[in-house]
Amino acid sequence: MMMPPDNAVILTRELKKHYELGAETVRALRGVDMQINKNELVAIMGPSGSGKSTLLNLIGCLDTPSDGQYWLGGQEVSQLDDNELARIRNREIGFVFQTFNLLSRTTALHNVELPLIYAGLPARERHQRAKDALDAVGLADRITHHPNELSGGERQRVAIARALVNQPSLVLADEPTGNLDSSTSKEIMDILVRLHERGETILLVTHERDIATYAQRLITLRDGTIESDERHTIGAPVA
Amino acid sequence: MNVFDAVFLALRQVWAQKLKSFFTLLGVIVGVTFLISVIAVVEGMNRYVEDDFAGSIFGVNTLTIERVYSRRGGREDPRTRRRQARNPDITTADAELLRENVPEIWYMAYSMDRFMPEVRAGQNKRKNVRLIGVTDEYLALQGWDIVDGRGLTRIDDMRAIRVAVIGDAIAQKLFPDESPIENYIRLGPFRYRIVGVLERQGGFIGVIRDAAVVIPWGAYQADFSRRRNVVEGIQIKFRTSEAMAAGEASVEEILRARHQLRPGEDNDFDIETASEVLTAWNAIKKVLLAAGPGLVAVALVVGGIVIMNIMLMSVLERTREIGVRKALGARRIDIVRQFLAESATLSAVGAVIGMLLGIGLARLVDFATPLPASVPMWSIVLGVALGLFVGLVFGVYPAIRASRLDPIVALRYE
Repeated sequence: MMMPPDNAVILTRELKKHYELGAETVRALRGVDMQINKNELVAIMGPSGSGKSTLLNLIGCLDTPSDGQYWLGGQEVSQLDDNELARIRNREIGFVFQTFNLLSRTTALHNVELPLIYAGLPARERHQRAKDALDAVGLADRITHHPNELSGGERQRVAIARALVNQPSLVLADEPTGNLDSSTSKEIMDILVRLHERGETILLVTHERDIATYAQRLITLRDGTIESDERHTIGAPVA
Repeated sequence: MNVFDAVFLALRQVWAQKLKSFFTLLGVIVGVTFLISVIAVVEGMNRYVEDDFAGSIFGVNTLTIERVYSRRGGREDPRTRRRQARNPDITTADAELLRENVPEIWYMAYSMDRFMPEVRAGQNKRKNVRLIGVTDEYLALQGWDIVDGRGLTRIDDMRAIRVAVIGDAIAQKLFPDESPIENYIRLGPFRYRIVGVLERQGGFIGVIRDAAVVIPWGAYQADFSRRRNVVEGIQIKFRTSEAMAAGEASVEEILRARHQLRPGEDNDFDIETASEVLTAWNAIKKVLLAAGPGLVAVALVVGGIVIMNIMLMSVLERTREIGVRKALGARRIDIVRQFLAESATLSAVGAVIGMLLGIGLARLVDFATPLPASVPMWSIVLGVALGLFVGLVFGVYPAIRASRLDPIVALRYE
């Protein structure tokens, strides 16, 4: 049996996903081999229909592959059942969405607490850790605000705090700046870069080239396979 | 996840949309209200019949002998009715025969009564009065106490003296400012001297006693009776229930012999006892208790279906929230629990409102009618438990639907 190298957070082998759409079979992913190591900041780009979202769903354990293997943090997760996937999502992955996806009827603090609730932590510890996480993204004075009382940038910062609160091995950011103006986008990207410098492993999906320049490695998808995988120094223009 | 959060969320939603919640919960509210108030009324009626009614109208260890009239709802076929029309009257002679031959008898009285449209005293009058001619032991046997003056005696009876004991309502009406004792009351063309006033009974049964004028049997015979020596009923009181059992058997035997009934033939007279009234009440109660659960069940099922609909809508509205929760690590069971807690909380709120309304209704019945309606603790527990149960049962389907949502689809839901 094949074992992934120790420093690989993500390792995929021949990862495939097919959908049945009526009589037609859509091959969204046609065999992706990818390794992402600890403390990398990786951007994934690609035109629509390239399989970006499908790959992200598989990596985020929201979906299971039709074929191939996927190790997350040394554990093979491609064959896990619903409940085990939920546990992996809870412990190993922090999601940051384009549309923030905060629960609107409750406070920033409660939103950040959610992953800890599902992790089964006692209320007192939940509170403390959620407060600390909000503090880390500079929102210590906003903990009792509801999402609709916060600006877009603040909402995304709450979402980042929520993604980090359970100390996952991987942060998955799906177009994290897609709904933000450019100065707020820069603010969010600066936070992600700072997290990376602190040691987080971050996978960033974007279609904006200047956002991708924040990453040290850029993977480009086309037609369900990896077209290119290039490394460069952060901040340098991407070809 | 945390049931407490779900309960809190549900309560907040109920509060935020009070009118919508009210209609959502109407079925459960009606069901529980009905359940609690019906049980309260039945229980109250129960106590009333067993304690008050049986005790005060029939007394303990008391039986009443009456002629069978063909009048009870007219449900008999014409032949029975013709036969009943030939039933012999109960007479004073019957009573005396029983007195001589049934040693178990403790007290015995017989009476005849009639309706008086009006009685007068001076300028004052009172309408709708029951005039009762009784033998001397009647008042004691009925347990009708005298609060003012004296009762009726054997002498009054034998000499047919025109004296009367009047009910409290009549005393109030005819003699608002003075004692009625030694005053006169006009009964039709006759003047009767008032010698006593009955203790006020009040309430539902009180309409008989409080509006009664009681006069000696002899006087009634002389002034009001159209048929001599015919009695409305003979009342017999026994010292103990054993004596009553034996006495009732001899009474039946003696009367059958006197009426020349062949073995196997039905009695042509009625022996009513308190236990017979209780039997009748138990039959009514059985109907109430049988129909009640059906109505409660219908209301609760309707309420449950409404709750299910609301929960399905809520699941739809919150598809994205469910997706987010799943992405953050909620398992199916967590989602199921959240929605179940919510629907159970919703219906529990309905049950509590229903309970309050039910208690209120019972209080109203208690206050406005003579029925001592009281809400037993177990009916409250039952009502709230049923409400919760309905919420849980009808919440299962929406909750399972929610838990089965694909997180990818749910997250993309607009």
